[in-house]
Amino acid sequence: MYIIIVGCGRVGANLVSKLSEEGHNVVVIDRDKDSFSQLGSGSNCMTITGMPMDEDVLKEAGIEEADALAAVTTDDNMNIMVSQIARQLYHVPMVITQTTDPEKQRVFTSMGLKTICPTTLTVDAFFCALKEGETEK
Amino acid sequence: MKIMIIGGGNVGYYLTKSLSAELHHIMIVEEDCSRCKQIISELGSKRIEVTQGDGTDVECLREAGIFNTDVLIAVTGHDQNNLVACQLAKDYFGVKQTISRVKNPKNIRVFQKLGVDSVISSTESIAGIINQELDWTDVNKLLQERSPNVQLRKMVVELGSYSERRHLKDLGIPKGLILITVLRGDRAIIPSGDTCLESGDEVILMGGQKDIDQISRKFKVMQE
Repeated sequence: MYIIIVGCGRVGANLVSKLSEEGHNVVVIDRDKDSFSQLGSGSNCMTITGMPMDEDVLKEAGIEEADALAAVTTDDNMNIMVSQIARQLYHVPMVITQTTDPEKQRVFTSMGLKTICPTTLTVDAFFCALKEGETEK
Repeated sequence: MKIMIIGGGNVGYYLTKSLSAELHHIMIVEEDCSRCKQIISELGSKRIEVTQGDGTDVECLREAGIFNTDVLIAVTGHDQNNLVACQLAKDYFGVKQTISRVKNPKNIRVFQKLGVDSVISSTESIAGIINQELDWTDVNKLLQERSPNVQLRKMVVELGSYSERRHLKDLGIPKGLILITVLRGDRAIIPSGDTCLESGDEVILMGGQKDIDQISRKFKVMQE
């Protein structure tokens, strides 16, 4: 698959490595060129420095041919905007958006975005772990 | 009218000032606390409410009174925040009209496609003014002094636009508008109803702003 990852923070960089290892064709976009140092020397994916919501940058990343896009910057609104551009203007078949605000996740899921909320996932994990701890006692 | 403004920077500040003078009720949302205090102390009145918070946060919008809002105007310095504020207002809270500023003029099309009612780019407005004024400064100055409503403009027939390969008589030129000449290559054609426009033609028009705006759409390729 040809996959565009938007945002090369902890989540982005790890996602890139994992996908590259599986043999996917990965392009990663970030505003900060220093962020790519997190990718490690083994990574052979293409990197693009630029504002991810700029259509010129997205085109350079090959959005017209992409099979999937994951928006995982630390800016929820940026993720939402880039994802909608990918989905509604370029008809990328699979688009996944990270949003840390559960309420925003609800709203934009109902508007058709496929979202992942780290806050909800973490809360659920903690909740389960605490419950397990309680039953073990 | 009840108007909510997202972003209390320079644009938000002066917008609040001029809109509240017209007896509108303004609710302004700004993230920076000291900026909020400044707005309250300088513009504070019964018609202006200031809420400190993130204008793209559902809870904050609710607290700021979005349920009573007729129009939401997003003028923060970040295009992505303006888009999300408008979408939350329109799709989640049912605000009837949304207006947004964009910094990157390329985002005009994106915002329109994603449901924002009116999109304004100062970069593009200024670029437009420069384009239309540059060649015509003297003539326009003269027109402006004698007849402030009439303007002289040059437009290009775009490939695939309504006007391309169409006779002038079929163009629906408004009554108050005069088509002075069609520039093709190095020729200036004195137009008649049977003149057929080609892409790349430069058309020189004179008329009122409203008529010019109306006809200008026919020279451009419209985005669906």
